[in-house]
Amino acid sequence: MFDRRLIECFDWGLLVITLLIGSVGLGVLYSAVTAGDVSAIHVLFKKQIVWMGAGFFIMFTSMLVHYKYLDKGSVAIYAGCVALLIMVLVCGKYVGGSRRWLALGPFTMQPSELMKLSLIIMISSVYSGAASEEGLGFRDLVRPGLVLALPFMLIVKQPDLGTALLLLFITACITLFVKVEKRVFITCASICAAAVPLVWFVLKDYQKARILTFLNPDRDPLGAGYHIIQSKIAIGSGMLFGKGYLKGTQNALAFLPEQHTDFILSVLAEEWGLLGCAVLLFLYFLLLIWGLNISYSCRDMFGSILAFGITIMIFWQIFINVGMIMGLMPVVGVPLPLISYGGSSVITNMAGIGILMNISMRRFASS
Amino acid sequence: MTQERKKGIRARIVVVEVFFFSFILLLGANAVKIQILDSNDLARKAENEYTGTVRIQGKRGEILDRNMNRLGTTIDALSVAASAKKIENPAKDARAIASVLKIDPVKLRKRLSSRRSFVPIKRKISPAEARELKALDIKGLIFQNDVIRFYPNRTLAGQVIGFTGSDAKGLEGLEYGYDSVLQGQRTRLTVTKDATGRQLDPEKRLQERFSGGSLVLTIDRNIQYLSETALEDVVSRFRARSGMAVVMRPKTGEILAMALYPEFNPNAFSEFTRESWRNRVVTDPFEPGSVMKVFVAASAMDKGYCTSKSIFFCENGAYKVGSKVIHDTHESGWLTLGQILKYSSNIGMVKITETTGKQALYDSLTGFGFGRKTGLGSPGESSGTLSSPGKWSTIDTSAITFGQGMSVTALQLAVGFSAIANDGVLMRPLLVQKTLLNTGETDQEFKPQVQRRVISKHTARTVRKMMRSVVSEGGTGFSAALEGYSVCGKTGTAQKVAKGGGGYSKYLYTAAFAGFAPEVNPELVVVVVVDEPRKSHYGSVVAAPAFKSILAESFHYLNIPPDLEQEQIVARVSDGAKS
Repeated sequence: MFDRRLIECFDWGLLVITLLIGSVGLGVLYSAVTAGDVSAIHVLFKKQIVWMGAGFFIMFTSMLVHYKYLDKGSVAIYAGCVALLIMVLVCGKYVGGSRRWLALGPFTMQPSELMKLSLIIMISSVYSGAASEEGLGFRDLVRPGLVLALPFMLIVKQPDLGTALLLLFITACITLFVKVEKRVFITCASICAAAVPLVWFVLKDYQKARILTFLNPDRDPLGAGYHIIQSKIAIGSGMLFGKGYLKGTQNALAFLPEQHTDFILSVLAEEWGLLGCAVLLFLYFLLLIWGLNISYSCRDMFGSILAFGITIMIFWQIFINVGMIMGLMPVVGVPLPLISYGGSSVITNMAGIGILMNISMRRFASS
Repeated sequence: MTQERKKGIRARIVVVEVFFFSFILLLGANAVKIQILDSNDLARKAENEYTGTVRIQGKRGEILDRNMNRLGTTIDALSVAASAKKIENPAKDARAIASVLKIDPVKLRKRLSSRRSFVPIKRKISPAEARELKALDIKGLIFQNDVIRFYPNRTLAGQVIGFTGSDAKGLEGLEYGYDSVLQGQRTRLTVTKDATGRQLDPEKRLQERFSGGSLVLTIDRNIQYLSETALEDVVSRFRARSGMAVVMRPKTGEILAMALYPEFNPNAFSEFTRESWRNRVVTDPFEPGSVMKVFVAASAMDKGYCTSKSIFFCENGAYKVGSKVIHDTHESGWLTLGQILKYSSNIGMVKITETTGKQALYDSLTGFGFGRKTGLGSPGESSGTLSSPGKWSTIDTSAITFGQGMSVTALQLAVGFSAIANDGVLMRPLLVQKTLLNTGETDQEFKPQVQRRVISKHTARTVRKMMRSVVSEGGTGFSAALEGYSVCGKTGTAQKVAKGGGGYSKYLYTAAFAGFAPEVNPELVVVVVVDEPRKSHYGSVVAAPAFKSILAESFHYLNIPPDLEQEQIVARVSDGAKS
């Protein structure tokens, strides 16, 4: 039955924030892809508009269906995404030494992006049944552990350690949110602390190089350190008010690498300065608080965990990406939500926000 | 959900909110650090990355004739060098490169084996050579932009234009004289580069922006060409050493042609002797001979010592002055002033000077500009030699009246005859009309400039009438007569000083002819000087026909209509009139 309250409770605030961030994204992307040459609208810009349109479409259509059906369909969605990940390993496109993309005619998609969302849905579904006031015991962690392990392994295999770790972080955060028993928490925390040094030995050479470079960018300024040095130069030379829209020298003169995907914030920081950065970070902060609020306002466990999961997913992407371009994190391939070029990322984040709206507008509906 | 759970969730949400806030704050703080605290340093790094300094050598300006035809220009070329380190097979590659560029393969191999990163191979290679080298596909060859100073008309006006050295600095001719105008600016410039090191402002455009100015000459390419052709003809016909000719507009002083033979090709200046580089029309004075008589007669009349009707006794061909005897080619008794010019009597001229005195002779010659530079602006100009009259012996004075014992340049002759043609007003000779800025706008304009009045209008007309008679039947210059035009002129045959001293040579002569037409309103002055003709040495035989040919073709080209009625034209061949 269609409930009139759905319209009344529509989350206009979240829509406005999303639109604002989306427009900032398109504006910066325009500058990043044209890179000083404004004679023609770049094909990537047009593609991104198509993706954004598709994202909004998915966002609104997904609102029509009650989110409880996601709970029911979670296994199917999860299985579909795992299947796509397997396909990537079988017939994915090699770009820069790793297989992350599936070709779909003129477009390419990155199933690991979609996996983020479907994993959150799946985990939420698992936890909504297992959560108790005492917190989760070791036994309750087995199923979610398996749910995480499968896509984690598949993505590490691509290899895309950044996205894989992101999945781990998201799952860990959701787990903590659902609450674990004290002994479980202590045990897990100590295992993690012990594992960190061991991780070094399983890393591939280029991954080690990235970490060493992160610790000391001047180690190899024209090689591994180039990205981070150039990014910092672009951001810093933007100063307080920036060089002006489309006037970023480091962007236009091609000093900035990957300036339309992972390093797009450097373009914004160069052209709009600290002011632009602050505005964007504020918008993101609003978005995150909004998401948490939705999670809190939701009356059922699944919705609450789901909203939290999506919010934490957006948070980690922002934090890793921004931290990376500022040199606080090693270089990993994590896009900036709603800003970076990339269809899969746009669709994933838009769909996620769509689910947030879905949960938000049904907060008063009887379940 | 139970109330208890709700409370738990609430607590954790608050924790996460604080967590979010502090992390976002951390990012913000880092942004402040990078964009405020470190920003000066980073902005300087950015600037260092995208700016670089380049040395720009602006293109050299062009030399154009009066109709804006290019006489000297700068074209793009390539220089080839090699990064010896990248050369894989020095022996084989050196042989291949050397055979294309026609250079020594052994030396090249030695240099290519040096492992240096920059080994110049050859500058200014032709487009064809560049194509061939590129086709060899040798790794490590470096092609650099270079320029070639190019003279598209090859030998045309070669000595007038001069040439530049390999560093684009003018070394001879107008290239040297107007080097400061033509020279492109040499400057260091800060340019914007992209990450691959490519300049955003292409170097070629910068070279244009800092290019030098251009010269627009008064020379007309066609008249220059026909003058050179006439000279080539006369020099080869009489097996002469060399020849020169000047074509000038008497009313303005503009020089339409300044021709020399043997020719000189400034594109390959090193293949010619130094002697042939010079613009001898202005640099090399010579003893002019009888052409000078016109100026002496003109001044004598103008100062009132005599009139065109005055008669002088010419001693029947031999007249003793001091210890020497002066001879005439035609033995004559009493001659009018006009006749003295017509038959070119040396004795007659001596007699005139005896009435005026040597100071007046000196004044008349300096009045017409002899013994002084004309100020043409072509480098190395000679003033000729005309010593002060105090030093003249009687025989010196006599010789000077018929153009021996003094020297003039062909340009000075042209300027002097122009004064007579221009009703007595001496114009400054012009070779450069104007200079242009590199934008094409006029920078400096050189307008016709009156120097002074030398003789009265009346005297000038009388002298022209006399000169007209020289080119009429029975006159020494009849072979210069041009059908349909009233040509005025004067022959000159001068003995040259013998090589190694010891007086004048009996075999070496300078044959000259100077004149203008039409008589009433002269359009062009032409001076032809032939050095050491061999088959004949008379100005009338050697130089007059060349004069006629230059005048006829120039008039035809300039569409100057005949001024004589058809029936007035004398078409008979003279019986060997001599000067």
